[in-house]
Amino acid sequence: MIKYDKIEVTFGDHKAIPELSLHVAEGEFFTLLGPSGCGKTTALRTLAGFIEPTGGEIYIDGTASTRVPSEKRRIGMVFQNYALFPSMTVGQNIAFGLTVQKMSKADTKRLVTEIAGQVQLSTDQLDKNVSELSGGQQQRVAIARALVLKPRILLLDEPLSNLDAKLRVQLREQLKDLQRDLGITTVYVTHDQEEALTMSDRIAVFNRGVIEQIGTPADIYDRSRTEFVCTFIGAINRLAAHTVRELVGGGATDLDPNKTSYVRLEKVSLRPSSNSASLRGSVQERAYHGAYSTYTLRSGESTIRAMVIEDGAAPLPEGSSVTVHIDPSSILQY
Amino acid sequence: MRTSLRTMFRSPLVIVVSLATLWFITAFLVFPNVNLLMSTFFPNGQFSGRSVEKLLSSERAMRSLWHSFLLAFTLSITVNVVGIFIVLVTKYFQVPGSRVLWLGYATTLIYGGIVLAAGYNFIYGRYGFITSAVRNWFPDVDPNWFSGFFAVVIVMTFATTTNHMLFLSSALAKLDYQTIEAARIMGASTWKILWRIVLPALRPMIFAVTVLTFLTGLGALTAPLVLGGTQFQTIAPMILSFSRSSSSQDLAALLAIILGLATIIILATMNRLEKSGVYFSVAKVATPLQKQRIQSRWGRVGVNVAAWLLFIVYSTPVLLIIVFSFVESASIVTGTITWDSFTLQNYATVLGTPAVLRPFLVSVVYSALASVIVVGGLLFAARILQKYRNPFTSLLEYLLHIPWILPTILIALALVMTFDRPAPVVGGQVLTGTALLLLIAYIIVKVPFTLRLLKAGFASIPDSLEDAARILGAKSLFTFRRVLVPLVLPAAAAVTALNFNSLLDDYDAAVFLYHPLYEPLGIAIKASTEGENNLDSMSITFVYTVLLMLIMSLTMYLVYGRSAGNGRQSGQRFGSPLGAPKRRFWHAGR
Repeated sequence: MIKYDKIEVTFGDHKAIPELSLHVAEGEFFTLLGPSGCGKTTALRTLAGFIEPTGGEIYIDGTASTRVPSEKRRIGMVFQNYALFPSMTVGQNIAFGLTVQKMSKADTKRLVTEIAGQVQLSTDQLDKNVSELSGGQQQRVAIARALVLKPRILLLDEPLSNLDAKLRVQLREQLKDLQRDLGITTVYVTHDQEEALTMSDRIAVFNRGVIEQIGTPADIYDRSRTEFVCTFIGAINRLAAHTVRELVGGGATDLDPNKTSYVRLEKVSLRPSSNSASLRGSVQERAYHGAYSTYTLRSGESTIRAMVIEDGAAPLPEGSSVTVHIDPSSILQY
Repeated sequence: MRTSLRTMFRSPLVIVVSLATLWFITAFLVFPNVNLLMSTFFPNGQFSGRSVEKLLSSERAMRSLWHSFLLAFTLSITVNVVGIFIVLVTKYFQVPGSRVLWLGYATTLIYGGIVLAAGYNFIYGRYGFITSAVRNWFPDVDPNWFSGFFAVVIVMTFATTTNHMLFLSSALAKLDYQTIEAARIMGASTWKILWRIVLPALRPMIFAVTVLTFLTGLGALTAPLVLGGTQFQTIAPMILSFSRSSSSQDLAALLAIILGLATIIILATMNRLEKSGVYFSVAKVATPLQKQRIQSRWGRVGVNVAAWLLFIVYSTPVLLIIVFSFVESASIVTGTITWDSFTLQNYATVLGTPAVLRPFLVSVVYSALASVIVVGGLLFAARILQKYRNPFTSLLEYLLHIPWILPTILIALALVMTFDRPAPVVGGQVLTGTALLLLIAYIIVKVPFTLRLLKAGFASIPDSLEDAARILGAKSLFTFRRVLVPLVLPAAAAVTALNFNSLLDDYDAAVFLYHPLYEPLGIAIKASTEGENNLDSMSITFVYTVLLMLIMSLTMYLVYGRSAGNGRQSGQRFGSPLGAPKRRFWHAGR
């Protein structure tokens, strides 16, 4: 559906994207994830046609589209700040694209009402000024405005970043549902790893204009291909070399103590399980989060944090000694 | 982001606007001023220092130069003393009735220039009411007591504190209040905090306002003209009188060039110094300023007394002008007003006599035309300059700022001396002596201010709005018309109103360029101050002034007053001129 073929983007003497090749399948929810300044928004804006790449080709539906103007690409886009036109009402905003196409008044009205219903905007909200709507409602207007033109592709540029935490969780579910119902190919840009993991079919992790890994959320999280990906996605422990040696001594012979090793917090257990190797340690600190607690443990020179579900068991006092269990297969080495 | 010329000139609209702008710059901003320089130093195609020799040998001219600098230096001190004081008592110290005080001090916002000079003259001058009233009791008092250097300094001191009111107040409001609280907790006194924390933080703005005041003093025209008498004449009135005869026109041009040069040097110095000494607030969350109580009892009494005395000084002329507009002129001249002297006759005369109302209407038409044309024309240019950044647009922008660094008098003189013969650049027309030239001058002087505010208006619109319109299929002209223009409309309307206001009582440009059949208001008011024969026109001037003050207050209210109350309305969000104090700043100086 979408293909980036050796795309290169340069601003002055700064190479924002050195060489990007990427393929997004029809109907897929594809996320570009990375820290700010990593080139993900540049990649999205190149697809939208706002940036002309200095090299390479963009294919949409198999057609070379690099020099096709934005408005001819049949792409809908939701901007980070929504970019709603403040001088127009909600209805006029949604109808803007149809007005440009000189569609008849009756058809415009029908389409606007239809799409408004789909994104759960009421008819009386259509006559309101955009500044009278809440952040979440404004976002729906932005989505409706993009979808009313029946685009082939929907681009979303950090559309949830201006909302408060609770609303963000709620809206990301609605957004995902809407995308699934419409089956529209979606490219989503975010720096929020949780958003990426919960919504995406596949994720591309960006770092300094280069893709570090493309994969399903589980691939990215559990089988991070590079050190950058594993430290960027989720909290993680770095294990000291002697700790790895101890684990090798305890039977985890597949591990190489000379490599940098990481293990995720929830993969560190204080209860024995099958296939796990064990370490001696002591409790330094406990941070209570409600549903779980994070214990900071000391084992030799390594400081290891473990996530423990609060299921009613008595908490471990500080200074008490514990046995730490880690499944060697969950250790990531680079 | 930089845009190449090739990308920029893909749009036919850009080409047309660029060509029109280029023509305007060449014909009216560059050509006349270059022509003025050439005709002064190369009168017959060859270099000649004749005008310089003439200047050095003219005692009058040399004295006027000295007077101008003397006035500029004196005002830099007096205006700061008064200006800083009025800002502190209205915005910094707890002074009872500070809102009333502010209104009194703000009277100079609604009348200035020739109107203000004439007002003071009619009250304290040779035939003024106060002078006559005092002389009824003490016949020995010199009727000319209010003239010369002293009178000019007094009048201009109170007239130019406007800059302090506008810019120093806003700088004070942005002060990080926590720095004051921190100083207090460490035991600093009221005066110590003022001296060591507040004033140093305001120093860049005080410096900038001082430069403006200096330039205002240097180029002063109306106050020395009306109140300077024979003893105290400065450069600008001298340029005016020299320009009236062809034998001394080169002298006028040279003086104007000197004035322009001094302005450019001072502004350039200021720009450089300003870059090195700006203090940024380090506070992430600035706490709003709370008014300070003056600790010492006597200090409090002293400040209050001084504040109210100044209030009287500021508001008396305005109140008297309003009162006198309802009084027959004979009573004012003789200094004897009784209940019987009050009448509506003055208003009836102004509004009922076409010949008397005419200057007012002429000024209204000129100002309205000029402000609409300059905003309408620059709407496109400002957008192009804001959107495309490359050497070509930078050059255009610099050139469009020429009127900003040149005194109005110089611009006007250059226009008169350039278009007094057919010029190919305007299609071989002679413009001097036509009613058109004054309109052109008004448009020219308003270009920099308008451009800056419109550009700021466009710049405050997020780029994503345009991207959004584009991806929804809109062409650039459609986007401009339907998305961008509605958003800069509040700013454009405000600029139009402010331009209209400031042109309404113009004298500086009009005196060089007006057409005898279309005499604007400034000229009529100035004429009414000229000696005994015109005493009847005094009352008419009072009526003019009241009408002017009404219009200006209304405009000020529409532009600033209303939006201060509901600034969160969506229409005000982008491009409100309130958000750009630095830019407004230059306006008042011009």
